[in-house]
Amino acid sequence: MTAATVSGPAVSAASAARRRRRIPYLLLLPGMAWLLLFFFLPLAQLVVTSLEEGSLEAGFNFAWAWDNYGALFTTYRGQFLRSLVFAGIATLLSLLIGYPLAYAIAFRTGRYKPLFLVLLLMPFLVPFLLRTLAWRIILADEGLVVTTLQSIGILGSSGRVLATPMAVVAGLTYNLMPFMVLPIYVALEKMDKALLEASADLYGSPFVSFWKVTWPLSLPGVISGTLLTFIPAAGDYVEVELLGNPQSAMVGNVIESKFLNVIDYPAAAALSVGLMVVVVFLVVFYVRRVGTEELVT
Amino acid sequence: MTSPGSGVPAVELVSLTKEFADFVAVKELDLAIDDGHFFALLGPSGCGKTTTLRMIGGFEEPSSGIVRLHGEDVTGLKPYRRPVNTVFQSYALFPHLTIHENVAFGLRRQKIDPGEVNRRVGEVLELVQLTGRGRQRPRQLSGGQQQRVALARALVNHPRVLLLDEPLGALDLKLRKEMQIELKRIQQEVGITFIHVTHDQEEAMTMADTIAVMHGGTIERMGHPDEIYEDPRTTFVAGFLGASNLMDARVISPEQGKLVLGDGTPVWIEPSRLMNGATTVSVGVRPEKLHLSAPDSPLETPNRVPGTVTDASFTGASTQYLVDTQQIGEVAVTIQNLGDRRFRANDQVTVGWYPEHCFLVT
Repeated sequence: MTAATVSGPAVSAASAARRRRRIPYLLLLPGMAWLLLFFFLPLAQLVVTSLEEGSLEAGFNFAWAWDNYGALFTTYRGQFLRSLVFAGIATLLSLLIGYPLAYAIAFRTGRYKPLFLVLLLMPFLVPFLLRTLAWRIILADEGLVVTTLQSIGILGSSGRVLATPMAVVAGLTYNLMPFMVLPIYVALEKMDKALLEASADLYGSPFVSFWKVTWPLSLPGVISGTLLTFIPAAGDYVEVELLGNPQSAMVGNVIESKFLNVIDYPAAAALSVGLMVVVVFLVVFYVRRVGTEELVT
Repeated sequence: MTSPGSGVPAVELVSLTKEFADFVAVKELDLAIDDGHFFALLGPSGCGKTTTLRMIGGFEEPSSGIVRLHGEDVTGLKPYRRPVNTVFQSYALFPHLTIHENVAFGLRRQKIDPGEVNRRVGEVLELVQLTGRGRQRPRQLSGGQQQRVALARALVNHPRVLLLDEPLGALDLKLRKEMQIELKRIQQEVGITFIHVTHDQEEAMTMADTIAVMHGGTIERMGHPDEIYEDPRTTFVAGFLGASNLMDARVISPEQGKLVLGDGTPVWIEPSRLMNGATTVSVGVRPEKLHLSAPDSPLETPNRVPGTVTDASFTGASTQYLVDTQQIGEVAVTIQNLGDRRFRANDQVTVGWYPEHCFLVT
């Protein structure tokens, strides 16, 4: 009887512990299943396709066709490099404009902070395509922006804004800005404000305090922000379609046309996978570089 | 600037006032703190002590008044231009820097030669007993160690005045006691003026040479710890610095120091403490100054009232009694545990005390 009363709770305690250990995995399950179905499987499919050869009429067959990848660095080298350069410029501009904005919202808006955050997110209430189309109208040749720039002589009489690389970069910057501002804002917001007082107490001028305290502590936000801006920008094709011209085409436009117009799936897949690999490589290099810098200063 | 010991106060506040939107935190405060002193600003939260400290450090701009450091007017100077350093309540250690770099921060801003920086950082880490921790990060250290890093980071700059804003508030009791002694030792070793803000009266009395008790934005009583403990002068100070028993009395003979309680029981006090010809006064006496005896063994004390023990709690070193008396209500009595007779609830006792242990409060 004694044995029964002792072993009873012990057994149920052990099974309860087992159940508790299983809970994290159960919580992971839906997310993992989702990723498997909608990310890993299509990705695997894409990689397989990228190594096929053939045509729409004759059918595509798997053939270890590594040649497909060469196009990224030969035929479409221009579009590919343009993607990286445009994305890089747009990321840099977003950082230059977005950091002060995030800083101001985090430190200077006081009780109006929620209002500014809502204003920042407001563009998301209008679909991305509509916003970009609106820019098409604003930047149009007879639009107010162009005529004003022409009348004050910044733009020549035949100069235009729409259908230029500048418009593409501006569109990328505009659309991705909130993704830069929000992570930086979060990093600044959670920073202990007493650290700035401590820096001032230790003879740090406001400028020095920013570079030695605020900036390093906001780096995690800057890293997330630049990744959230650069990665979508590098693969974008809508901005070029709506605001650019064929001469400003990015690799995204090539991929789109290979998939939807030319129907050359292996080439499109190879360009996609190649772009992804290069971006992942750049990101890893960048994160390691900036991440370690943060640790040594 | 003047050298220490020249008689110019390390810190001088003249009619210092800080008004916020809806209340006055500090009201026309005048204060001079001698060089090399360990000075405590003591008071409950909201009394203006932290605001005063922040005005000395330059983190808060006074609404009016002057802050002088060693005779020099620094009222309008930004914190980074003042020769003072602060130990913050939250420590405010830079999480992205090592302990060494945290401590070196102020020296680097002053463009001190790197060899000299290393020497001084090593020296001060030894002073706070953290040698060998230089390469760790703040979050790898315990609360007490972080506290000492904060202290080292301020001290390494050899400030003329060190400001401490509730520096021990986040530590547990045992560590706090250790750090009190440690802080006192360090202050004596470096000889820098320490201004220490705290709401803990025991902490202030343990460490400070001079205590200023603040209440409602002004200094209510200032002096050496035992002086203000034995003669607090106001009800607030008497209550804030330890416990006290207060009773209302009428003055009968100021020359003899004779008073009477409401029912005519006489109370004798030091005549010198009876000032300004008041006719009714409030008399205070500390619990540990009271004596207890059984009614059959009379006390020698001139002041005596009978009562009934309502509660007795034994705390090891002493026993704390609550005694109900007709004349002065409930009285708290602390008796050192010397092996004498202990009383229990409902025992009839006589409470007695000496005239020199009475103080008057307003």
